[in-house]
Amino acid sequence: MTQVLRTVDLNKRFGGIVVSDNINITIDRGEILGLIGPNGAGKTSLFNLISGVLRPDSGSIFLNGQAVDTSPLYKRARMGIARTWQNMLLFRTMTVIENLLIAPREYAGESILRVTFGLGSVRSAERQARERALGILDRMGLAGTAESMVTDLPFGQQKLIGLARTLMNDGPLLLLDEPMAGVEGAAYETMQAVVRQEAALGRAVCVVEHNVSFIRDLCSRAVFMANGKILQDGTVEELIASKALTELYFGV
Amino acid sequence: MEYLATVTILIAIYVILAASYNLVIGYGGLATVAHPIFFAIGAYVSGLLAIHVGMPPILSVALGAVAAMVASVLLAASSLRVSGDYLLIASLGFQLGLLQLIRNLELTGGPGGLSNIPSTITGAARTPAFLAITIGLAAVSVLGIRAIVRGPYGRAITAMRDEELAFTALGRNAMSMKIVIFAIGCGVAGMAGGVYAYYFQYVSPEQFEVLQSAQILTMVVLGGMATAYGPVVGAVLLLAIPQAITFLNLPQNIMAPLQGIIFTVLVLLFLFLRPTGIMGASESKPRARATEAA
Repeated sequence: MTQVLRTVDLNKRFGGIVVSDNINITIDRGEILGLIGPNGAGKTSLFNLISGVLRPDSGSIFLNGQAVDTSPLYKRARMGIARTWQNMLLFRTMTVIENLLIAPREYAGESILRVTFGLGSVRSAERQARERALGILDRMGLAGTAESMVTDLPFGQQKLIGLARTLMNDGPLLLLDEPMAGVEGAAYETMQAVVRQEAALGRAVCVVEHNVSFIRDLCSRAVFMANGKILQDGTVEELIASKALTELYFGV
Repeated sequence: MEYLATVTILIAIYVILAASYNLVIGYGGLATVAHPIFFAIGAYVSGLLAIHVGMPPILSVALGAVAAMVASVLLAASSLRVSGDYLLIASLGFQLGLLQLIRNLELTGGPGGLSNIPSTITGAARTPAFLAITIGLAAVSVLGIRAIVRGPYGRAITAMRDEELAFTALGRNAMSMKIVIFAIGCGVAGMAGGVYAYYFQYVSPEQFEVLQSAQILTMVVLGGMATAYGPVVGAVLLLAIPQAITFLNLPQNIMAPLQGIIFTVLVLLFLFLRPTGIMGASESKPRARATEAA
């Protein structure tokens, strides 16, 4: 097992609210780690700390053994920390394929000099990215939507596009923030299948999800968070069996 | 004819200004009111180099553009780092402060401005030459900006404007893209300033007041924000209408307020009836995108 992600004593507070209280987690290559807990537990904040949206007050984050603490958000993405968003944050005036074309770790069109003077190399990079994007869409059964505006698609498909866009980043770590919220039917099956495939390809995946059956189906290990703390780290069965956690989470 | 030619040259210069402002504010979504001061930097730097160094026009106009570009990077890099909204305030301060400096420095001729900028082209060929130069530069600016916003770079600009957080989290450096867009837009404005200085051979602080940005913004909005040819239409309309009115031979006390009334009515009409501007996608075609409308 190769450790892809390791956080060491991550702390973050906003005034009196502690969103991250000495968080230590690890995710291995090929593993799908579930992250569960009530609203406000600090799950998304943890994603924000790992991906670089937030800076921790103290503590460190290692990707493949390398500290990423000083790298800003965009650099961490280039290092291979890919994430999705609860509310997708799609580029809403663009088509599906354009949403994906923006997202490779290295985007040829980002440099005005390269676009102006290195047209050949940009063109071949664009061609490769397009092929890759169509491949990802095809895997999700969405190849036919490539030229549609993202906002014209039903919600479940938009969720999948959010994942597809993130998959353009072929890095070692994939953070999925509530991929199943509001998703049902065919999109649900596709989402599960794709996440499983990505892990099988060797990625370390972390899923924040309220849908416990989704977590149970996908994850061998899960972490339970509340009030910025990790309360338990174990198999999904252990977590579900824990009476204290069930009370806290489900209020039963 | 000379009068018409002068109006046309002025329109061409304003097409460059409006197109570059559109790149910054329309495509880039960077709220700034400092466009006139970058126009001024280009004009003063080119003018001063022409007067004191006797530099050839192409070189001095280029240096004017570079000066505007450097100044814009200083402004953008410092203020965008704080927050996007901060740029508006910082650009206002930059515009007012630098113009005040120009008004008070001996080097720039103080409030009286810079006169006696040498005319490099003289005689009968002067007006046709400047017509060709300004129209040519306007065309190059408009088409150049169109090329920028259409390709992969333009796609990145659109994505950044749509959802900056997601854009950055995908590995895109939004900050440096904003600075580059700002620098290109302001550099082009500086170039327009250089040509302006050479043609009119005289520049003074009141030609670059902050209210100029309202006029240029009106051109952009009326023509169509984030469209390639909107600024052209806007600049032509807003400069031609007042000139056309002068042919009506109305008394001055009616004429002066009439122009203001026409502008205001136009802006209000467009806000209500066609907020996307003349060249913008109409409401009935929500699928049309900025890049397509271009």
